[in-house]
Amino acid sequence: MTITAKIDLKEQNPLAALQQFFAGILKLEDIAAILVPQRLPTKNTVMPTLVTDPSFLGDADPLAPAFLMNAARISSRLTRKPMGGKIAAVLRPCEIRAFIELVKLKQARREDIILISVDCLGAFQNKVYSKFAGQNGTESTIRFYKNVMGGNTNEMEGAEFATACKACEYPVSANADIQIGLYGMKTGESILVKAQTETGDHILKQLNLPDTNEPPARQAAINALISQRTGYRDEMFAKTRESSDSLDKMTDYFSNCVNCYNCRVACPVCYCRECVFVTDVFNHDPYQYLQWATRKGIIKMPTDTLFYHITRLAHMSTACVGCGQCSNACPNEIPLTELFRTIADKTQKIFEYEAGRSLDEKPPLSEFREDEFKEIVGIE
Amino acid sequence: MNDKIGKALVVGAGISGIRSALDLAESGYRVILIDRAPHIGGILSRLDYQFPTDRCGMCKMLPMVNRDASSQYCLRKGLFHENIELLTSTEPVSVQGEAGHYRVALRKKASLVSEDLCIGCGECVKVCPVEVPDSFNAGFTTRKAIYLPVPHRIPNTFIIDTDSCTMCGACEPVCPTGAIRLSERERRQFKILVVDDELIVRDSLKELLEDEGFSVDMAESGTAALKCLTGQKYNLMLLDIKMPGMDGVTVLRKVKEGFPDLTVLMMTAYATVETAVEAMKMGAVDYLLKPFETDVLIPKIAGIYNEFEITKARFVDVEAIVLSCGTGFFTPADGKDTCGYHTLPNVITGIEFERIVSGTGPCGGKLVRPSDGKRIEKIAWFQCVGSRDLQNNADFCSNICCMYAIKEALLAKSGTNGEAETALFYMDMRTFGKSFQRYRDKAQEEFGVRFENARIHSVVPEDGTGNLLVRYVDISGKIHEECFDMIVLAVGQRPAQGTAELAGMTGISLNPWGFAETVPFSLTETSRPGIIIGGSFSGQKDIGESVIQASAAAACASRAIIASGKNPIPESPPETILPDLLREPPHVLAVVCTCGKSILTSNDETRLSKRFETDPEVNNVIFSERICTSDGWDELVGQIIKYKPNRLLIGACLPYMYGRKLKESEKETGLNASLTEIVDIRTPAVQFSGENTGESQLVLNIERLLGMGIAKLEQVEPSITPSLPVTRSCVVVGGGIAGMTAALTIAGSGTDVDLIELSGHLGGNLKWITETIEGFSIQTLLKDTVQRIEKHPLIHVHTGTNILSSFGQAGHFITTVENNEKEVLTLEHGAVILATGGREAEITAYGHGASEAIVTQKEFEQKIATRSLDPSTLSSVVMIQCAGTREEPKNYCSRICCTVSVKQALFLKKQNPEIAVYVLYRDIMTYGFTETYYTQARQAGVIFIRYTKERKPEVVVSGPVPKVKCFEPILGENVEITADLVILAAGVVPELPAGPAFTFGASCDTDGFFLEAESKWRPVDSIKEGVFACGLAHSPRTIAESVATAEAAAQRAIRILSRNRLPSGKVTAIVRHSLCSLCGQCIEACPYGARSLDADAGKILVNSLMCQGCGTCASVCPNKSSVIEGFSTRQILEVIDAALCI
Repeated sequence: MTITAKIDLKEQNPLAALQQFFAGILKLEDIAAILVPQRLPTKNTVMPTLVTDPSFLGDADPLAPAFLMNAARISSRLTRKPMGGKIAAVLRPCEIRAFIELVKLKQARREDIILISVDCLGAFQNKVYSKFAGQNGTESTIRFYKNVMGGNTNEMEGAEFATACKACEYPVSANADIQIGLYGMKTGESILVKAQTETGDHILKQLNLPDTNEPPARQAAINALISQRTGYRDEMFAKTRESSDSLDKMTDYFSNCVNCYNCRVACPVCYCRECVFVTDVFNHDPYQYLQWATRKGIIKMPTDTLFYHITRLAHMSTACVGCGQCSNACPNEIPLTELFRTIADKTQKIFEYEAGRSLDEKPPLSEFREDEFKEIVGIE
Repeated sequence: MNDKIGKALVVGAGISGIRSALDLAESGYRVILIDRAPHIGGILSRLDYQFPTDRCGMCKMLPMVNRDASSQYCLRKGLFHENIELLTSTEPVSVQGEAGHYRVALRKKASLVSEDLCIGCGECVKVCPVEVPDSFNAGFTTRKAIYLPVPHRIPNTFIIDTDSCTMCGACEPVCPTGAIRLSERERRQFKILVVDDELIVRDSLKELLEDEGFSVDMAESGTAALKCLTGQKYNLMLLDIKMPGMDGVTVLRKVKEGFPDLTVLMMTAYATVETAVEAMKMGAVDYLLKPFETDVLIPKIAGIYNEFEITKARFVDVEAIVLSCGTGFFTPADGKDTCGYHTLPNVITGIEFERIVSGTGPCGGKLVRPSDGKRIEKIAWFQCVGSRDLQNNADFCSNICCMYAIKEALLAKSGTNGEAETALFYMDMRTFGKSFQRYRDKAQEEFGVRFENARIHSVVPEDGTGNLLVRYVDISGKIHEECFDMIVLAVGQRPAQGTAELAGMTGISLNPWGFAETVPFSLTETSRPGIIIGGSFSGQKDIGESVIQASAAAACASRAIIASGKNPIPESPPETILPDLLREPPHVLAVVCTCGKSILTSNDETRLSKRFETDPEVNNVIFSERICTSDGWDELVGQIIKYKPNRLLIGACLPYMYGRKLKESEKETGLNASLTEIVDIRTPAVQFSGENTGESQLVLNIERLLGMGIAKLEQVEPSITPSLPVTRSCVVVGGGIAGMTAALTIAGSGTDVDLIELSGHLGGNLKWITETIEGFSIQTLLKDTVQRIEKHPLIHVHTGTNILSSFGQAGHFITTVENNEKEVLTLEHGAVILATGGREAEITAYGHGASEAIVTQKEFEQKIATRSLDPSTLSSVVMIQCAGTREEPKNYCSRICCTVSVKQALFLKKQNPEIAVYVLYRDIMTYGFTETYYTQARQAGVIFIRYTKERKPEVVVSGPVPKVKCFEPILGENVEITADLVILAAGVVPELPAGPAFTFGASCDTDGFFLEAESKWRPVDSIKEGVFACGLAHSPRTIAESVATAEAAAQRAIRILSRNRLPSGKVTAIVRHSLCSLCGQCIEACPYGARSLDADAGKILVNSLMCQGCGTCASVCPNKSSVIEGFSTRQILEVIDAALCI
């Protein structure tokens, strides 16, 4: 963990520099492939791609404010079993945190993957992004980069960033093998490359980049950003709590949910092969519906909506990294991220746990501490 | 019943009786478990908290393998096991026969309340006019003459205390089920003849006794009396002594000649009491003193009547009898120094204190004085009340009082948020058990319990406050006075009531203090084969030791059973294959008991029928007047046959009653008993009865409960209990006395044993010890045991062999071992016993190694054995106890060293009375009956000097002989002793190498000893089923105690090894592999280690034997790929739904 290097930008274009850097990594002998977000020209949007040929890295764009899916799931799929070589994966900090959770849940392996994170500049909701990007995506990314680096971290050209991003206090990944720093570096001049693990060090050594020292301004910039986001987050918590602090309010919160379960599909840490809500358990008998309706006079259809969301909260809120994909996936604009983050904040604090923080912390439910929750279990 | 099936009688259903019974039942024998009390649990039914957890935990004794054979709830409430017949209020009255063929007569106390009919509603209590002190709460509270003996029994039927019952009959008509059979009529059949020359006496007695319901005739003289007797049969004669003509004694003589069975009670004035006593020698049962006091007269006659009422003795034939009758307690009021007990209300005994802190006690668990309700702020315990007391003929230690007093002090602390001041006045704190020393240190250092090494002089009341002024003398001889709110006497043990009679009946011998005596090197075997001692009957033991001994007793009982040619119950054939219901839609028949219309009215019935019959899966709702009667049951069976349901709901009281009945009628009805749900509708009927909430609330509640039952049934999935094959072979690691005993015990049950010994020879520590303190020869034991091992065809000895690795689980382990020739052997076995032993600790302190004259106990023992030391050449010997133990890091008592020192001191004194022997000690741990040798040593002139761990003795090696410097607390001065020989008690350390322990799945405690699954309730089991430990690897202990752990461990293994297949519980976890994401959270979460990942197959596996169905895995599994059989998610959701539907 000694190497801190710097890449100078040409024509103020961070993308070109990153593409070159990724190509350099892919050319290394022990790297078989690289997972990296690339612009797909036909749709003008950005999706994860698995690349083995360095000449196919020309559209790599990890800075675009597009976040169509959390690539932790893709990474899990690639590392679940040995794949026959090592891959490098360029991920956002929240993707890395989700990946760490999946490793702990034995859905992914850390052994054959080199995690590379680029400072996250934030992203738009999916629908907003396509409008924003217009016809020239690459150009819009550069514009976006300059906008955020200029201190505009909540909106751009009249479009708000996704709530998850505005409330995110992890713009920089502490767990990546290699961290690519933007914040606190001179916009358009250079970016930072820093090894954070021995693996990262080993890679960077081979790349022979010019050494540098991390500028003090970087940490200051990060801190300022985090404090701004924390403020936003706490306000969001307060508001969300207010609108969900009773069963009635919760029911209202989800009143336009159609039980499509998209949020579960989009969630990077929801790892069940088949969700219990699509199994026979919830395939009620017709008589049952009639019973319920008879009892109450009226029931909302479909049933089990609140049950579903509460179950998901119970199962996943300790692992929630706040990436916001649930909100992205919701066809009816239910503020899911807000609720999930608000609840997760509490559940994770209760267990002194933080999703994605460290591989050494066991998931709360698989660890037994004799002395915890005395007030609940009643045993001193 | 099959005559070839082995059967044992266990007398006493305290925890050790329960343990023995369960061990035998689990090994496939039939057990009759009796207790003279109306409930099980013995003394522990009155104790709520046990150290070291300061909680209960009795239920941990319940079977974990094949657990459906037994009830699985609180053992204080009751015990049902398919192989155990439990008889309460029952005592043995005679034992005939010999080893292997005992015929025992059992007598059950008459019960005036039918256990089958009583539903525990308590209506009778409301009307009973009699109020007497409640012995369950040590007399702190009162109860009625009809009462519950313990608050938590199942079935909790009422009983009548016939001694205090006035037979007023008030309870009889209010009983809704007619369970009370107060026998006016029956008493009428009891005929009494009153013989007295004074008319007034005759008349008054007749009136009095007829009021009590007896038939009474009168005779005015002896001649008239004899005439009456020829005419009619009488049950009792009340006979005056002084009569004109034929006097009472003459009448008695004639009566005994002509009517030997007639019970005669003498009546006498004070002047002729001696004659009455004479009369008793001639066969009168007792005498009554004139003028009569009704309080004395009536109970006496009622007592005699009860003897008659005792239902006829039942004879049982058994191969073994386990006596686990417990102990009694010293009553301080009877002693020479009462400490104010029974005169000062705030002087109580330990058991009385237990009732005060109990939630079911007189103060609801609050720490207040029952006498005046004052909060207890300062409280003292006096140790050794009635123990270690020659004046009270108690030259023994009672073993458990030190620890229970510390526990009670801690309970006092925790009951007052640590505010109560607590002090223990003691002679020696005998913390000789595993972990006890640390418990004591914790009490002292962490919780501030005061330990006062002192003798009590007196206790006097402080004026008007109820407080008690204690005068005591500390070790330096200084007198102190101190005031306490309450004093607890840690009373010592006495033989249980009836011990001598039982000994006479069974022909076993008693020790000088009246406790049962066992043969050398055994804690369980008596001089009569097949009659075995369990638990505290041979002297008080703490729970862990009792449980160990109980399992050992079970081992001896099975040995006796096998010796008599009997077998375990044959393994049951595969379950009757009932129709495969998986694809059949549920048809529920609901049968609701109206308890003779007392719970439900016709309107209610209509309402319930209407409600449930709309459910398409409910076929019929039927109401029955009384299912609990045999008519009611037959009717039910008829309905099942008629309606052919595939699910049955019963709404009635006492739900546990029906399980066995349903199982038995399976063939007749074709209904799978596991598809039955029994809902208790009586409890809510009691809760919601009458005025409180109104009848409608009751019906709603019953509707809700029935709805829940139906929902559960509709979703229940019929399943067949899985079973696992067992490799019927055992590995025993370690060839010392424990390992050899375990091997012999297991081989004795017909199972192959591989005995693995690291060294070249069997014998372990026995090789260097000559004799025990009692003088039993150890070399004879060793030779005999090795011979038996070598001759046994089923024992395969592997010396010079070590364990390489092992994997597997209860029922099937695969272990590889390697011998000195580097030959590798693979052993398949179903269980393993770790008996790797221990050794004397190495020591460098106190100058060991610096001089030939400083030796350890072992070295001394060897020098004596080889005669390389001549006691006649010695003039002064100093023994230093606790050399390196009872302080961190080895903060435990090695248990045997004090006894060894006393033994060696007595030996030296015997060889050469001129030797000055000094024993420097912290607390002398001669527990139990070894205490008497400590007394002998002091009488022989051995000097015992106490030191503290802060002020240890010093050994100076400068001149030709060592000098020992220490502080003499009685003199209050430093002394220097020139010693020809210094003997160090270095203590015991285990030889349980972490490698082998770990490979089998066992773990070690902080001191390296075997870590028990639970130190009290599962003392020889490891958390991992199928792995057991014994001997010194388990904890420091004597040879006899090691043998007991070995037998216990063997018995625990036999439970598994005695069958070809072991059924697991019905409620076990399974994995739905198609849903499983292999996240492994269930593996981490399983507290029994029953889950593992089969990486090759990509599956999570569950060992159904180890799985206890606790459901932790199901709750961590997010998508229910881990489920508990019989508790499907859908089912539970629907039950919850039904619960919330009203």
